[in-house]
Amino acid sequence: MTSYLEIRRFRDDQIIWVSRNHLQLNQLHDEIIHRVITVSVKEIEERYGPLPCPFTFFMMGSAGRFEQSVWSDQDHGIIYQQQGTEINDHFLALGKEISHGLQLAGYEYCDGAVMASNPLWCKSLSEWRRQLANWSIDSNWQSIRQLLIFIDGRSLYGEASFLENLKIEVYQTIKNENLLKKVLDNTLHLKKGIGVLGQILVETHGPHSGSLNIKEKALFPYVNAIRLLAIKGNILETSTLSRLKKLPEIELPIIKKEIYKQQFLKLLNLRLSLSKPDNYENSHYLPVASLSKKQKEEVKEILKNGAALYRYVRNLVEKENY
Amino acid sequence: MDTLFLMNSLWVMVAAVLVILMLGGFILLETGSTRMKNAGHIAGKTILTFGISSVVFWAVGYGLIFGAGNALIGFSDFFYSGYDIEGLSLSGAVFFLFQLAFAGISLTIAFGGFAERAKLGAYLVFAILFSVIVYPPIAHWIWGGGWLAEHGKQDFAGSTVVHLTGAMAAFAATLILKPRIGKYNKDGSANNLAGHNQVFTALSVLILWVGWFGFNAGSTVSVDGAFFGFVALNTNLAAGAGVIAAMIISWIVMGKADVPMMLNGALAGLVAITASCAFVDTWAAVLIGFIAGFLVFYSIRFFESKGIDDPIAALSVHGAAGVWGTLSTGLFATPELATVGEPGLFYGGGLHQLGVQALGVVSSGAFAFIVSFILLTIMKAVMNGLRVTEEEEIIGLDMSEHGSYGYPEMVKAEKTTISSEPKLNA
Repeated sequence: MTSYLEIRRFRDDQIIWVSRNHLQLNQLHDEIIHRVITVSVKEIEERYGPLPCPFTFFMMGSAGRFEQSVWSDQDHGIIYQQQGTEINDHFLALGKEISHGLQLAGYEYCDGAVMASNPLWCKSLSEWRRQLANWSIDSNWQSIRQLLIFIDGRSLYGEASFLENLKIEVYQTIKNENLLKKVLDNTLHLKKGIGVLGQILVETHGPHSGSLNIKEKALFPYVNAIRLLAIKGNILETSTLSRLKKLPEIELPIIKKEIYKQQFLKLLNLRLSLSKPDNYENSHYLPVASLSKKQKEEVKEILKNGAALYRYVRNLVEKENY
Repeated sequence: MDTLFLMNSLWVMVAAVLVILMLGGFILLETGSTRMKNAGHIAGKTILTFGISSVVFWAVGYGLIFGAGNALIGFSDFFYSGYDIEGLSLSGAVFFLFQLAFAGISLTIAFGGFAERAKLGAYLVFAILFSVIVYPPIAHWIWGGGWLAEHGKQDFAGSTVVHLTGAMAAFAATLILKPRIGKYNKDGSANNLAGHNQVFTALSVLILWVGWFGFNAGSTVSVDGAFFGFVALNTNLAAGAGVIAAMIISWIVMGKADVPMMLNGALAGLVAITASCAFVDTWAAVLIGFIAGFLVFYSIRFFESKGIDDPIAALSVHGAAGVWGTLSTGLFATPELATVGEPGLFYGGGLHQLGVQALGVVSSGAFAFIVSFILLTIMKAVMNGLRVTEEEEIIGLDMSEHGSYGYPEMVKAEKTTISSEPKLNA
């Protein structure tokens, strides 16, 4: 495939076949993104000559975690081996080209500019190392959040080891500097999905009235809690399910692990099968009124378990820090 | 001049000042609950329409309510000149001013239903019509010796006369004006056009709460036996119970302690206790306020789901709670305190008083609604519509009706604001 629009057509043809299957859908996303990168690299090399050194392109956010729904926005970065003004410009041009290509292929730009077209997320290995260290030292709300975004990074193209080595160092720093409590404060604000009477708390206003915001109320508690346990357990995997799988007994007892795994998988599939995924915004909302009684019970179980997991992780970290 | 006369006059003068200051509360309530671009307009028109209401009340309103007449309307004492009024043991002018303040409050409540979309001209004309044709008959029926007064209707300070009447006019207005642009989506779901300042709204509730001591306790129109203290106590308890109830129910149902809802709970408690504050025991005041807090929550959700756009919740706070408050004396009025009418259901009075209260609510509510609806319909035809144009509504009534913004810098800055917070879970 030679153009972004061709890739877009490929996406539109293929995606309906896998839109209800979590695994296949995310494999397809990976393939589409990979194709976009290939076209971009070719384009940049034709324009400015061959890329000067090895690099890796990595996805973050839901793509990094292999948890995209049908529509998703783009969050990504680049790490390249050598430092130098011309080299920087070359890779920044690549970042811009990929970002542009992904947009044409159906991935919205990231509001927060977490994209390789932004110099903050497109750096040489040594510059990345310095930036990550600074984020840890600053350890303010914004810098911790950026560290956590980085931790969800997954390499899709090039030298994956660049990213892995940096992540190992970040984990080490978080532990050495005792930053887990800050990580906890940064992400574990729980938006209640279930009321005191056991009812599902839906949106009361706006175009999604009557729907549950599954992204914020159901997915986030699992994703954020498991990410935190993964940092504690030195697990480099990025998907919530594979992080769960690798968690040692000491971080999460096996019986709980099994429950949360099943609940989270159910959630991913419910999201794909029940929300109306006609655009990025809608795919985050579950119309509760149209669920069957059984499905409602399932959703409630998922919400309750998410809240329980959240409490578990909070207690675990707080106990260690006091 | 005897001391009691002077004391009564002084107390009611203080009460009148408190009630007139409640307009300050309504200014903050209505501006806080609406958007910046209409703030100057809302604040300014409240003062303007109180001015109109005052002059109309002096010219004809008072005479229609308290003048000598029949069971339906009074008809003397127009253009009041300050003389003392027969049978009252306080200054006639003070009593007059106190009554004038009530008429002004009722009108201000009615205008809640106009918010953010009615032309200034509609306010001016309806201020006159309401003050002549809508408010005085009902006030005469209940307070001016009219047919409901003879019937033994209990409405100590005006749950029906002031609040329900205002709310029914507001209801007619919301139906005729239709929802604000952007309030409802195509599928009928409602958007939250959030008010621009919750601090204003909270302060408004405090001002109204304090003002209500004038409204209710002042309605004793006398210092005799210092009974006003008891009335004020009941008033305060109901407001407190209302805010607690609204917080609890909003937390149970929506999972959050919604600030506007808590504030509406306090107001609903105040509106409800207005009818019954002098007739019930303190425990009943708590209960009446508490139920009002629940009621206002469900009422707001009900009207919103029916496609009725009520920007400052006038229908629920003054209407639903006004109805409940009026009925509540039919349940809780004690034999000792029921100086008007009979004791309530729970004190062996049977259904009699409850029936009287219900008749009062239905007849007054229906009259206020139907007459307001007819008046507004005629106005709409004659004035070529009551609502500003779409463009005017979007730029805001500050600009369209008055030519300058209440917050000149802020409204312009609003358009250029962007958010740029990094996302973690995209």
